[in-house]
Amino acid sequence: MSLPAILLVLFALLLVGLLAWALRPPVRQIRPGLEVFDALRQSRHSSRMSHVLQALRPEDTEYLRETGQVALMQTLRRQRRRIALDYLNQLQEEFEMLLEISRVLAVMSPEVAGVQEMERLKLSLAFSANCAFLRWKLRLGLQPFSGFTLLSNMATDIARQLDAATTRIAEAAVRASEQSALGHKEFDGL
Amino acid sequence: MVEPLQLQDAAWALTSALELALFVQLVRRKLRQIYPLFFAYLVSVILQSIAVAALYRTENLDKGTVWAIAWVTQGVVVILRALVVVELTRSVLHRYIGIWALARKLLLGVAAVVIAYDLLLSKGQWHWLILNGIRGLELAMAAVIVTMLLFARYYRVPVDQLQRALAVGLCLYSTFYVVNYSLLERVVQQYAVLWNFLGLSAFIASLLVWISAVSRYAPSEAIAVPSAIPVELYGKLSSEVNSRLLLLNRQLVRFLHLEDRSQ
Repeated sequence: MSLPAILLVLFALLLVGLLAWALRPPVRQIRPGLEVFDALRQSRHSSRMSHVLQALRPEDTEYLRETGQVALMQTLRRQRRRIALDYLNQLQEEFEMLLEISRVLAVMSPEVAGVQEMERLKLSLAFSANCAFLRWKLRLGLQPFSGFTLLSNMATDIARQLDAATTRIAEAAVRASEQSALGHKEFDGL
Repeated sequence: MVEPLQLQDAAWALTSALELALFVQLVRRKLRQIYPLFFAYLVSVILQSIAVAALYRTENLDKGTVWAIAWVTQGVVVILRALVVVELTRSVLHRYIGIWALARKLLLGVAAVVIAYDLLLSKGQWHWLILNGIRGLELAMAAVIVTMLLFARYYRVPVDQLQRALAVGLCLYSTFYVVNYSLLERVVQQYAVLWNFLGLSAFIASLLVWISAVSRYAPSEAIAVPSAIPVELYGKLSSEVNSRLLLLNRQLVRFLHLEDRSQ
């Protein structure tokens, strides 16, 4: 059997694997419509972060190092890592929720831009990979600061994309309403 | 010991019986109106079975003519199966105008790339062009079905039990065909009986999946179509999502500044 034919067989087997994966029930699902608002009204993990930030102040660790209480300092550092991990989990949860909302918007939108959808897909894959990377760095006790900067930029990017998508949806809805007022019925098909 | 030809005849008989059972179920459940191309495909498969059986029993026909007629009818069946994939994809996604437009472009691209790659393997020989063309179409169908399901999963588009069963049956048969054909490509004439038997087995499995889903089909399974949100709600949604993202970002920045100071 030739190499191209082997590649075809491997591709066919990959398709079977992807088929099985695609048929699994979704982990999280928001139904379109007003449930989006319910999702948005849910409590915000990030709003509880002031206590966490207070606990992460560097003076605590510096003071313990100077007074020679190394054991206590290590305990605090472990706690600090755990807090950072919790923060990361919450950040990822919020990011995924926002992605979920952006999917709902796309489903309800009469116009979807392929480039932006692809960008969002890439962004979500990169975000997941970075979260996993940071989680491991934290578990190994390494400094994860540059990674957090990257995640911060990603959150900004997705906010901009969502804003653009929502504007397009609003414009499409206005156009459809105007056509409806002129006697056209296209908007009913949505 | 059972002879391979007897085994193939038994598989053929079983396939015909299952095809008829599926035909009856589709008519009883009034699904031929909902999936007319799938119904047409099933009818073509039944007619093909009858035609091929009649051909093989006709004397004074040379083997080449029988082979050509068999493959032409197979071509018709494969094209109808491709149309069923289009029908299935449309039935899953067409309610969502925006993502359906995006999906059409994506799925056409996937199909074109797969078929082009497979046809390149023929090296300009018409005999292999037909056979590889059918394999390419089968692989493209499987790729389109999987892409459509991944697309539906990503956007949380509901796929009902019957649609899933149709997708699974079509995809498994197509991938099995590709694997089977690729493995036996150069020796297909020597192992024709085995090749046919394996192909029939895969088709029997698909028929069983479809019969099971059609038998359990209930018309009340209709999928709720999402309505477009009015402009005011979109505005509210936009500001809510953006303020939440900004808050998330601000918290991150605060966290980063605090961490940077600790370095």
